[in-house]
Amino acid sequence: MGIVIAVISGKGGVGKTTATANLGLGIALNGEKCVVVDFDIGQRNLDMILGLENRVVYDMVQVMDGEASLPQALIKSKVNESLSFLAASQTKDKSVLNSEKVKKLLEELREKFDYVILDAPAGIESGYEHTIEFADAAIIVVNPEVSSIRDADRAIGILDSKSQKVKDGEEVNKYLVINRIIPQMVQNGEMLNSADILEILNIKLLGKVPEDKGVIDASNQGKPIILDEKSLAGQAYKRIATRICGNSVPMPDIEAAPKGFMKKLTGMFK
Amino acid sequence: MFPWSKKKSSASVAKDRLTIAIMSDRSHETYPFMDQLKAEIIEVVKKYIGVRTIEIKSETDGDIEALSIDVQLDK
Repeated sequence: MGIVIAVISGKGGVGKTTATANLGLGIALNGEKCVVVDFDIGQRNLDMILGLENRVVYDMVQVMDGEASLPQALIKSKVNESLSFLAASQTKDKSVLNSEKVKKLLEELREKFDYVILDAPAGIESGYEHTIEFADAAIIVVNPEVSSIRDADRAIGILDSKSQKVKDGEEVNKYLVINRIIPQMVQNGEMLNSADILEILNIKLLGKVPEDKGVIDASNQGKPIILDEKSLAGQAYKRIATRICGNSVPMPDIEAAPKGFMKKLTGMFK
Repeated sequence: MFPWSKKKSSASVAKDRLTIAIMSDRSHETYPFMDQLKAEIIEVVKKYIGVRTIEIKSETDGDIEALSIDVQLDK
């Protein structure tokens, strides 16, 4: 039986879909069978980030409604065959979702895969609630910035009250990914550091991802940045994916000042 | 950054502001009646003395949970 992990953020635009794509691929690169599901009904994007937009024939709403079978709708990744993708519906809106349908779909996916990663829609409306309802764990993606952190706390609050696991008296494991860290700004006291963010949100840290211009280039091409061995963000996602698969990886201090005193000095006076 | 610069870093300002905002968000989550409670307390106090504003904060200290009500008088 696979584990269902919802990737959530509250606020939009923090890199949730990018994180989902990269972590899904990273889990597959670890040799585990993984499926990423786009739960953002009406605003499908995960297909673009994965470079699979031309392969979408059936979406998850059609599977839920019995208009297509799950094997018909699942799309295998071009780069790693352990990774599959299930698209969101682009034409319908999120009111088509209901708990029974979501539960049934996730049960089917759990049987086929080791990891089922759900890309939640932004916001805290019904589409979000359906994404978290049957999840075993959640990965919260934030940027080191006030509105992202505040919205994430609201999303966590809803997770803690609406999740089926919590209603059953269990706990939903919550893990934080801090995305788009600019080390120099943290050093200068112009950006919240990870210790402060963890203290405010009071959850476990899964990983830190530095700001990386390559992410836009990667999504332009539909090739997740984790495939770029030189990219700092790609390396960070690789470490996080390995942690999700249960292997411990050291957490390098990406917030530390760049090496070399001169470099540090020039950074100061930029 | 510099010992002689007295300005508080914007990151620590962000931390302080966030801590307060999130505390208030969470108390609304736990006590959805907060706004109504506030309005009713204002009405009661007003009968006796002018009130400018009321602030209700929830605080937890170990096992003890408390609501502290701060009444600012209108002078």
